[in-house]
Amino acid sequence: MKYFYFLLLCIVVAPTAVLAQQTGTLTGTVSDANNGSPLPGANIGLLELPTKGTATDINGLYTIPDIPVGTHTVVVRYVGFREVTATVTIQANQATEQDFFLDEDFLNMEEIVVTGQGASIEKRRLSSDVSVLNSREIESAPVASIDELLQGRVTGATVRAQSAQPGQGMNINFRGITSAFASQTPVIYIDGIRVDNRSSTSLSQGGEETSALSELLTSDIERIEITKGGAASTLYGSDAANGVIQIFTKRGISGEPTITIRTDQGVDIPDTKFVQDTGFSFPNQVTDPEHPDFGQTSFLEDNFLQNSYFQNYYASISGGIQDLTYHVSGRVQDAEGVQPNNSSTLYSLRGNLQASISEKLGISFIGSYTRSNFQRLNNGTAIADPYTSFQVGDAYFFSGADTFDEALRRFLLPSIKEGVNRFTVATTATYNPSPFFFSRFTAGVDSRYNEQRNLEPAEFDIVSGNDSGLIERFNRDYSVVTLEYAGTINYPREGTLTSSFTFGAQGFREETSIAFLSGETFGLPGTEDIGEAGNITANENRSQIFNGGFYFKEQIGILDKVFLDAGVRFDGNSAFGENVGLQTYPSVGIAYTVSDEAFWGATFGSFWNETKLRASYGQTGKFPDPFSRDFTFQSSAFRGESAPRFDNPGNDNLKPEKTATFELGVESALLDERLAVNFTYYSSQTEDALFFVPEQPASGRGVQLRNIGAIENEGIELALNARLISNRTVDWWLGMNYSWFRNEVTDMGGAADFNVGGSSLRARQRVAEGHPIGEWMPTVPIDTNGDGLLDGSEFQFVGTTPYPTKTGAINTSVTLFNRLTVFALADWALDAMIFDWSSHWSSFNGLERTTLPARFDTDGNEIGNYSTTAAGSFLLKDGDYLKLREVSVSYDIPRKLTSQLNLRSASVFVTARNLVTWSRQSLVDPELGGVSSNSDAEENLSGLELGGEQSSTLSIPHQFRLGIQVQF
Amino acid sequence: MIDVMTIRFFRALCVICTLASFTVLMGACDFLDATEVSNPRTTPEELADAPEPTAALLPGMRAQFGRALNAVVVATAVGSDDYSSHRTGLGGNEMDFPRGIIPNTSLISSDETGSLGIYWHLQELRSLGDFIIDDVSPTDETATDEQLSEARYYRGMAYLMQGENFVALPTQEDETPVLAGALLERAVIDFTQAATLDGTGEFGLRALAALARTHRALGNIAEAGQFAQAAIDGAGTDFLFARSFDNTSPDATLDNLPHAYLVSRSLQEMQPLPRLDFLDPKYAADDAPIATEKSEEMHLILAEVAMANGDYGSARDLMIQASDLANTRPTASVDDTDQRLNDDLNIRPRSAEILIAADADSPPRGGLVLTRPAMVQTPTVSATSITADSLASVPLSEELQLRRLLYTLRQEIMLMEGRRLQDLGIRFPMMLREIDTNPNITQGDTGTEVRVPEYIPPSNEMDQYGPISLYDANEALVVSEVTILHDMNLIIARDRGLVINNPLLP
Repeated sequence: MKYFYFLLLCIVVAPTAVLAQQTGTLTGTVSDANNGSPLPGANIGLLELPTKGTATDINGLYTIPDIPVGTHTVVVRYVGFREVTATVTIQANQATEQDFFLDEDFLNMEEIVVTGQGASIEKRRLSSDVSVLNSREIESAPVASIDELLQGRVTGATVRAQSAQPGQGMNINFRGITSAFASQTPVIYIDGIRVDNRSSTSLSQGGEETSALSELLTSDIERIEITKGGAASTLYGSDAANGVIQIFTKRGISGEPTITIRTDQGVDIPDTKFVQDTGFSFPNQVTDPEHPDFGQTSFLEDNFLQNSYFQNYYASISGGIQDLTYHVSGRVQDAEGVQPNNSSTLYSLRGNLQASISEKLGISFIGSYTRSNFQRLNNGTAIADPYTSFQVGDAYFFSGADTFDEALRRFLLPSIKEGVNRFTVATTATYNPSPFFFSRFTAGVDSRYNEQRNLEPAEFDIVSGNDSGLIERFNRDYSVVTLEYAGTINYPREGTLTSSFTFGAQGFREETSIAFLSGETFGLPGTEDIGEAGNITANENRSQIFNGGFYFKEQIGILDKVFLDAGVRFDGNSAFGENVGLQTYPSVGIAYTVSDEAFWGATFGSFWNETKLRASYGQTGKFPDPFSRDFTFQSSAFRGESAPRFDNPGNDNLKPEKTATFELGVESALLDERLAVNFTYYSSQTEDALFFVPEQPASGRGVQLRNIGAIENEGIELALNARLISNRTVDWWLGMNYSWFRNEVTDMGGAADFNVGGSSLRARQRVAEGHPIGEWMPTVPIDTNGDGLLDGSEFQFVGTTPYPTKTGAINTSVTLFNRLTVFALADWALDAMIFDWSSHWSSFNGLERTTLPARFDTDGNEIGNYSTTAAGSFLLKDGDYLKLREVSVSYDIPRKLTSQLNLRSASVFVTARNLVTWSRQSLVDPELGGVSSNSDAEENLSGLELGGEQSSTLSIPHQFRLGIQVQF
Repeated sequence: MIDVMTIRFFRALCVICTLASFTVLMGACDFLDATEVSNPRTTPEELADAPEPTAALLPGMRAQFGRALNAVVVATAVGSDDYSSHRTGLGGNEMDFPRGIIPNTSLISSDETGSLGIYWHLQELRSLGDFIIDDVSPTDETATDEQLSEARYYRGMAYLMQGENFVALPTQEDETPVLAGALLERAVIDFTQAATLDGTGEFGLRALAALARTHRALGNIAEAGQFAQAAIDGAGTDFLFARSFDNTSPDATLDNLPHAYLVSRSLQEMQPLPRLDFLDPKYAADDAPIATEKSEEMHLILAEVAMANGDYGSARDLMIQASDLANTRPTASVDDTDQRLNDDLNIRPRSAEILIAADADSPPRGGLVLTRPAMVQTPTVSATSITADSLASVPLSEELQLRRLLYTLRQEIMLMEGRRLQDLGIRFPMMLREIDTNPNITQGDTGTEVRVPEYIPPSNEMDQYGPISLYDANEALVVSEVTILHDMNLIIARDRGLVINNPLLP
């Protein structure tokens, strides 16, 4: 191993001898062939000299110096445009001028993707679907983090928020539910480095948790590639069943430094659509006209919810000299929060450096730091959750106060603060010893440290039951190190038959260390030091995991129309059982651009311009939890002794669950390139699915992860993109996407059915053979004696899930005079049902938030209404929704004006997000995940977070922003 | 124009950054072997290296005995007439409806991650005992008789509490359910071994008292009397053994769990039957010990044996001894902020002036209710409202009345000690997971359904009293007499007779 690193360093730093030779310069501009506007950031490369590339500057200008004299093939690529090649002749000590005009690539067939391919490859060659979001889409989106960005923009992605609190991430899943034991969140890579994607990184304080997704910011992103599992993800092996999101950050462009400054100022306004205020919840408790709360019907709206000011500042400097480029940026963001104790501040700093050490060797270094601080409230199932307590009539009871004002004051006594420090560092070395051989080595680390502190003063004891106050401290220290080498041999590159062979090795090591301290009983007020507590407890939880493997992939091109690929990855993992060896993940695929056949144009003309057919089969995996293979004991302190009990039962045969996906697709351009269609059908089978299998209680041992299940998913994804009008005056696009999936547990392997969420007594999210994962199984009122009257109750499957199975979005953008753009996006989801805990809580106070049916005894006598426990099905609310997610207007200020101010460019943005929600009920916002860690689902050990259950949970606010960006 | 030096500078910077990042990477983890992981928990291989494995594992049994005792006390309290359960803290009020208890009822089905699972924690205690007694100690030359006696005692207690409160259950994987009587017989074996191994040591004496309790449950009149007397002879006329708890442990399941639902609660989880109000809360601190063996119980077992032998005179004397001893036990001051509320937020009896009648035919009695919220003085070990004088005044011919008083004494003196469910004759079903995972058990088999004797009234009537509304809108007392719907002590004295005569073993 030592020799490996030595060799690696030699590769990176070794000076490469360059023979002295005569050279010249190539220069020119790259423009949009449609309207002549310059294309900044377009890549210009020399086919024979892969490291001799550059990118155009802000004005579309490029210069490549020191090109050896002779004839060269120049390739120009720009996202969304067709690749252009030209042959140029370079003469000694002269500048050769060559301008390029690029046509729009309607199906993005020429777009280069990297994720899951081992090497850079055009989309036309791909046998499976890879989604790409480019910098234009990202920059214009009024969002702060990656998870928000994906909402409505990626076909087949279900993306749902948790609540309005800061620090939280969205619940993301692609293509159904492939696992019953772990989160569905895709793995995320930034510039080739695996990063923390955990969606629960704190104490929950009632069910909602903070997420590592919340600091994955959208600033400085060049491109995002998304594979949704299947063959496209196979090269990620045991880590890829949820799909892979790869983020590529911005790099500098050669030329004069470009300074970008942007600010967004705005306001968040609470969404009150789903609030049942004190007018509903307290009239029966406040009947005395003299009481200060008498007639107070909107206490939450008047005294709790608030408009929140938001501000964001961003600055970057970007540029480069010859073979060296840089991009450095910083960002500060601050928001008050639409609830009390919900303020947030975020700072981030990023720097990207690239250098060509020689013609064959290039290196890049990328580093970023993010600091995030925010405050949170008790929430969800916590009795000290003010938002729920006031809506269900518990505010007096839980606070022990006589008035709303005093109750709220007591609920707001706890201070729950969290701070996150996150460093991400990545280094890539490229070594291309010949025009046919490319290699890349990537190494990096993502390190995230967060600390949550919960201070409950002694005055809060009356609510909490603490003894003279409480301080809790929760630290999570996470790091993941990634190493990857990939080599690609492209030979022959031209001709009837082309070949691209990729081989590589990739591994990561992930370490998590959690420490939890709690101190209770404080003599003096005001202390924030746990050491001063009369009673201190401490706990920790540590895990380590290594996953590593190597892979091969061959792609053969036939006549540049048909592309066949086959690949395989072999994986080892420290979580596999002792009896389990290397795991194999194969993939095969075919892509066929049938429209390149001569008959196509002759037959369909401009009606049906272009069509690619694709089919693929690939396996991906999901590795088990660290150490879940081991039989262990665990001790706790008991009266001064260490008291052991049985812990994990152990399983020497533990291995990853494997998902095999078959995928068929077609991508077409129709109607004279006015309509783009992308359709995919997929069918996936997860074998050896991991279930937490309870041991027999007689064994005295708990629950063991075992590979015993089988899960099936099947679905379609359809994306349409229509160019309605396109000329120099108006450019009007209309897009939509739709996805549907069906999920079923096809084999339980003899294990008993189990819950993965919900309320175990009222409505379970159940895993059972023949049913979708997490299908609702509530208590349902029944007639037991056939007299037509409801007199009993039993658990029944009701055919719906806590997550939607049909999702989609529609968007449109209109650009006038290539300057003013109006964009709107709406997304929707169907078929989910949401469990409304607040209807249950309300029932304790005699409130009919949900009307329950009359119950009879077996003699036909009415005995009052059903309880919420016996009629859980009535607490499941329709989860259909349509949200007008975004409306934005951006305006590029004319050059005449900007040049007078010595600016290169200037733009103004007016945006709005989460504008309107349409739903079939008004008790719960169907989008929200709400309670994610739910102790009531007592059998739920799974990290699976299906969402779909809420106490009263505040919707994501309406967000309005005014942004100004200038470049100079 | 950028000069060559600048270019060199940037190149050097790139190289330095690259090297620096590699350094960071190497520092971040041990790169010489990135595949090496270390489980922070103890594996069997590591346990095998322990110098004294029995001694190392025994604290685990002590702690697990605490968890099991916690769970038994709470489940039998709310499953019986002693307490009703309110709001959500104990899985709603399901346990108040004995005939509605099913294998999935929260307190029955709660698993190792919860603190309330009576079935789970007794099985884990027994299983830990199997591991130590059968697997570890035979090869552990350092294991002492005292240690083995203690392990036998805990496993015996697991069998005893299973045999008292369940119909039948398996004691190893894939086993068909073992009936309660056979479980009690296994308890006899373990306690006998414990007594033999430790003679007059603590666990030898505790085993004698436990043997008296076990034989009573089995209906072995002579043996019950013999061991009850032996325990008193060995440990004294006022002996007390208890399981202590630990409020400093990070593991909250090792606190005195009843305390969490009686005192340090956020909801109104456990509310005593109004005539037992003066005994509540018994556990005033979250590390308060729970009595497991005490002289009062031996006196009452001896009284029961005497009644079974037709000697009601001796029985009454023994009951008087038990009452006298109980009322000399210590008390504690508790700042009880409990509002004494029903689910519908109606105020339950909470004024000292309230009189309680045990049923509609019984006279109202005072002194059974304390005024709250207030600082209250409550017994921590034993107490009873049945005084020596009142016992002495009962004619020996009133055998039913004396049996009723015997049950009343047992109920009051051993409140929150896990005895009441067995006196009522109710037996819980095994937990759902056992039925689901054991291939030799299906729903409907013996042990999978709750067993409730016919004399137990329907619905949740054991917990009912009237009138419900006692206070006006200003919380002033307006009704000062409360009648309990059923006197369960009278019902079992009449319909069941003595446990030792009618152990109701399945």
